[in-house]
Amino acid sequence: MTSPHFPHTETPSAELHGVSLAYPKGDLVLKGLDWQLLPGQVVGLLGRNGAGKTTLLEALLGLREPQAGTVQLFGQDAQLLDDATRARIGYVPQHSDLFEGFTPAQLLAYFRSFYPRWNEAKVEGLLSRWDIARDKPIRKLSGGQKQRLSIIRALAHEPDLLVLDEPVASLDPAGRRDFLRELVGEVLDRGATVVFSTHILSDLERVAFNLAFMSEGRIALQAPLDDLLEQVRAFTGTVTEMATLMTRLNAQPLKRTPLEAGRERVLARLPAAATVPVGVAVDRVNLDDLFAELT
Amino acid sequence: MDPTHFVHINTGSPEPIYRQLIEQVKRRVAAGQLKAGDEIPSVRELAQALAVHPMTISKAYSLLETEGVLERRRGLSMVVAAQHQRAQSTADRVELLRPTLEKAAAEARQLELSKTQALQLFKSILEEAP
Repeated sequence: MTSPHFPHTETPSAELHGVSLAYPKGDLVLKGLDWQLLPGQVVGLLGRNGAGKTTLLEALLGLREPQAGTVQLFGQDAQLLDDATRARIGYVPQHSDLFEGFTPAQLLAYFRSFYPRWNEAKVEGLLSRWDIARDKPIRKLSGGQKQRLSIIRALAHEPDLLVLDEPVASLDPAGRRDFLRELVGEVLDRGATVVFSTHILSDLERVAFNLAFMSEGRIALQAPLDDLLEQVRAFTGTVTEMATLMTRLNAQPLKRTPLEAGRERVLARLPAAATVPVGVAVDRVNLDDLFAELT
Repeated sequence: MDPTHFVHINTGSPEPIYRQLIEQVKRRVAAGQLKAGDEIPSVRELAQALAVHPMTISKAYSLLETEGVLERRRGLSMVVAAQHQRAQSTADRVELLRPTLEKAAAEARQLELSKTQALQLFKSILEEAP
């Protein structure tokens, strides 16, 4: 969908092709992974603990070099970004990487020197709204305050690509809602591309128009959440019945779960506007179900 | 119109958020709470109030426009369409409730509840303070 808020541009904000990555002496974490983030998309990255979400986001940012495959940000090799392109990226890591001995004011002044753009009004507004003492050493801030400071640092230079790894884990519900409003503002103001991982599915459901499900080292499925809720259904029946039904509906099975007595549960994506025959046992699914079945 | 109270959304539902928005606006127009010419919040206002992706809001508004519930005015916010001068008839409003009740009826049959038991529940829910 193209609209005044989301002008269509050709270059993806991030593009990964055939990316494989293993840690020394470890198994492959990413296995020939393909992924694309387009301008203005807000993509929620879903995966179980240990699925490799953090590794994927680090590889996307060029912080880890894959053994195979290519990673491009705004059309440039992620390992060889020029300064102007680097300045278009904002990152909130899962674990705070702030300099603990600095005060928030010192930290922000330091980062400010690296960027051609810096929205001082936004920084000041967020520091006040999020109740962060400007002159207290960072090591004395609470976990939630450090996380908010990390978010402010990532938003200050008005990035076109914002990568957030579990950005709200230490925030209370009011803090999370406020953070989501900021994200929506980033999208409204600049058509920023946002990718974020979180286990708080209700947050994803609000702001992530697109969802990416990570499983076995790949993006197993990426689609608009609306489409998934409207097209994915859970069916239960004998294996033979299910096979016939899938063919008849031209459905794409996403997950099969064997049940007792030759029966199975099949989660399948139906073509848009498909109608399920009368008498077939079918359930709608919500985001929790999709997470449980597809990651 | 205050965007924070214009509509509310439920997360964790199998119903996509844009669908929830459409159905709520339609019900409020049917009930006459929103009338022809009433301004509705802009995409920006509602997206920020609900902390929802703006594309979700614009998708709902576009479909409401296609269905003749809302009208777009050049350079101005959208308004409730001209034909919605007053609340719909009781019969029409009752009809809007049919899909939800059909679903409830199907579930009641699956649960092998009697008519009396199911109606009893609906009655007591209706009588609960909102």
